[in-house]
Amino acid sequence: MDAVLIIQSLISGIMMGMVYALLGVGFSLTWGVMHVIHISHAAFGLIGAYLSYSLLQYCGVDPVVSAAVSVPLLFITACGLYQLLIRPITRAQNIVMASMILTFGLAIILENIMALIWKADPRVLTPTYSSGALIAGPFYFQYPHLVGFGLSVLGITAIYLFLKKTYTGMAVRAAWQQPEAAQLYGVNLYRISMITFALAVSTAGAGGISLALLNSFEPHSHNLWLIYLFLVVIVGGVGNVIGTALAGLIIGVITGLSMAFLPFQWVNLVTFGLLMIFLIFRPHGLIKQEGM
Amino acid sequence: MKENRIKDFSMFLITAVLCGLMLMTPAAGFGAGKTIVIGGSLPLTGAYAETGQWIEKGMRFWADEINTKGGLLGRPVEFKIYDDQSDVGKAVTFAEKVITVDKADLLFGGYPGTAARAVMPVAEKHKYVYVSMGGHMKSFLQGYTYSFGAPPLMGEWWYEGFFQWLATVPAEKRPQKAAVYTINNPVGLSLIDSIDRWTKKLNIKIVINEKYNAPLADATALIVKAKQSQCDILFANGFFPDGVTMMKAAKALDYNPKAIVQGIGSVVPAWVKELGKDGDYVFSGTVLSGQLKYPGNDKLNAYVKKTYNLNEYPLYFGFGYAWMQTLEQAVTGAKTLEQTKIRDWLKKNEVNTIAGSLTFDERGLPAPINFGTQLINGKVELISPKNIQTREPVYPKPAWEK
Repeated sequence: MDAVLIIQSLISGIMMGMVYALLGVGFSLTWGVMHVIHISHAAFGLIGAYLSYSLLQYCGVDPVVSAAVSVPLLFITACGLYQLLIRPITRAQNIVMASMILTFGLAIILENIMALIWKADPRVLTPTYSSGALIAGPFYFQYPHLVGFGLSVLGITAIYLFLKKTYTGMAVRAAWQQPEAAQLYGVNLYRISMITFALAVSTAGAGGISLALLNSFEPHSHNLWLIYLFLVVIVGGVGNVIGTALAGLIIGVITGLSMAFLPFQWVNLVTFGLLMIFLIFRPHGLIKQEGM
Repeated sequence: MKENRIKDFSMFLITAVLCGLMLMTPAAGFGAGKTIVIGGSLPLTGAYAETGQWIEKGMRFWADEINTKGGLLGRPVEFKIYDDQSDVGKAVTFAEKVITVDKADLLFGGYPGTAARAVMPVAEKHKYVYVSMGGHMKSFLQGYTYSFGAPPLMGEWWYEGFFQWLATVPAEKRPQKAAVYTINNPVGLSLIDSIDRWTKKLNIKIVINEKYNAPLADATALIVKAKQSQCDILFANGFFPDGVTMMKAAKALDYNPKAIVQGIGSVVPAWVKELGKDGDYVFSGTVLSGQLKYPGNDKLNAYVKKTYNLNEYPLYFGFGYAWMQTLEQAVTGAKTLEQTKIRDWLKKNEVNTIAGSLTFDERGLPAPINFGTQLINGKVELISPKNIQTREPVYPKPAWEK
């Protein structure tokens, strides 16, 4: 087996895995903190990708720069959505089930809105560097992959630092670990849940941009992305930022190595097969909920 | 008194003339027949929505045209189109519903090949004529008698035109080593047939022959492998998303074989629009083209120019129109809506479509149709056979534009 091909496949896999991790980190947070399984999470990622596409097409704004517009925009939108849709269902007896049904419907609505605005045609993000590569010896690093990877690392680090270092972040963690105790200490659970949801949706936007730098996308692409979201979150451990990032890397490594050693058609089979084996031994994921 | 009689007679005459005129106008007034309902489903949302919507546009253009001309068998036509959301299961359910619940007079063809293939046995069971693209060769080998491909979208024929042209290239200038990457589904796999036959014939060695499952998240490893193996022809047998991923990786890694042949993804307008110059010089095939001199193509081109500002009608717009053209001629020829009579007429007669004149064999297939294409300056040019060539192909592929 050619060492160059193995390392190249590994690099590609890691870059791809990190992008899935950024998309998944918010999904993990809403699941862990609020017990809301947010099925339309990837659809919000797709909205981020479409906003980025439009800003690039009509204003020439680079996708990375456009994240500075779409991320806050999605944050504000998500605050409104939380008030309107999510907050009422947090009073449901079975939040998990209620949230899944509600956000599944929301995903369908969002898909149709996207198809209405941007049409059903597939789109490709093509910034000036879209088909260039950094060449290091025998290895190639496609610029869009590098940018997507960089954005993902940045996004995950920012979320991690926010949760670890800021008062609001600590309140989010407290609300997730001991909601009643956190409330006794004056943490406003409603406000924290809204911030968590909005933060999750805005990271989805950034993740969507990163993924759109790598692949083409259409209004229904979120269904496909959702599979990978579940994958990284389940492997990483629900509600765990570090776990999600690690899961992204591990899935990337497995995918990369499978591509190097096995026929390409086996890659998904191996990835999901290993996931099943992994879950038998670590049903709670890589890192238990106490971590971050 | 006399004056009154003249007045009454005049009124009678006017009324008689008006009634006569109404009866002579088939689609209007008291003499008009009941609307002919043509039912089925299309993927108007979901994965194949872009294509499905073009098929619908082609069908609706035909319906407007025929209704203006006075309808089919003198009756107006109307579509009952369900959105199957790109779900094969739903396409089958809607086909059943259209036939058994809606009691549609006619069935229209669906998309993609997987849906058409699944609807074919439903049409056979209910003895409904089904004119569609079919689901590649295998679907026409099941002994169905009510299904017709007019024209069919046949993966097995897709690269015939390209290979016929390649055979005219001097042997020393032809590619020597091929990398074949195929999406692991019936559409992708059907493309391998002609590659196997022709590479043997032209003495091209297949060095890499791999399948991948969708989604293809990253094509770097595939392209590195092809580049390392010095493959000078790349067959990217897939759809739009994986086709784009592969083209982007090929450019980024500066892999520039003599020819890139792309299956189905490069024939949708989005390929040119989204990839721009990077989508150029890709070889593929087609069964329909607005550049062909068959009657009706100019009219369709003029319509899409006016309505969608396109220079040529998109492939799937043409499919939708051609299937309805076939059904129209069969119904008109059989002079009835009786399905078995329509089928029998189609088995014995020739239809004239924008894909040319077609006659059908016992499988419901016309003689193999395929035209080699190449994207040059964002336009799909016909390169083979020679008599329909719109441009000389660009070969070997120029270096990637930086």
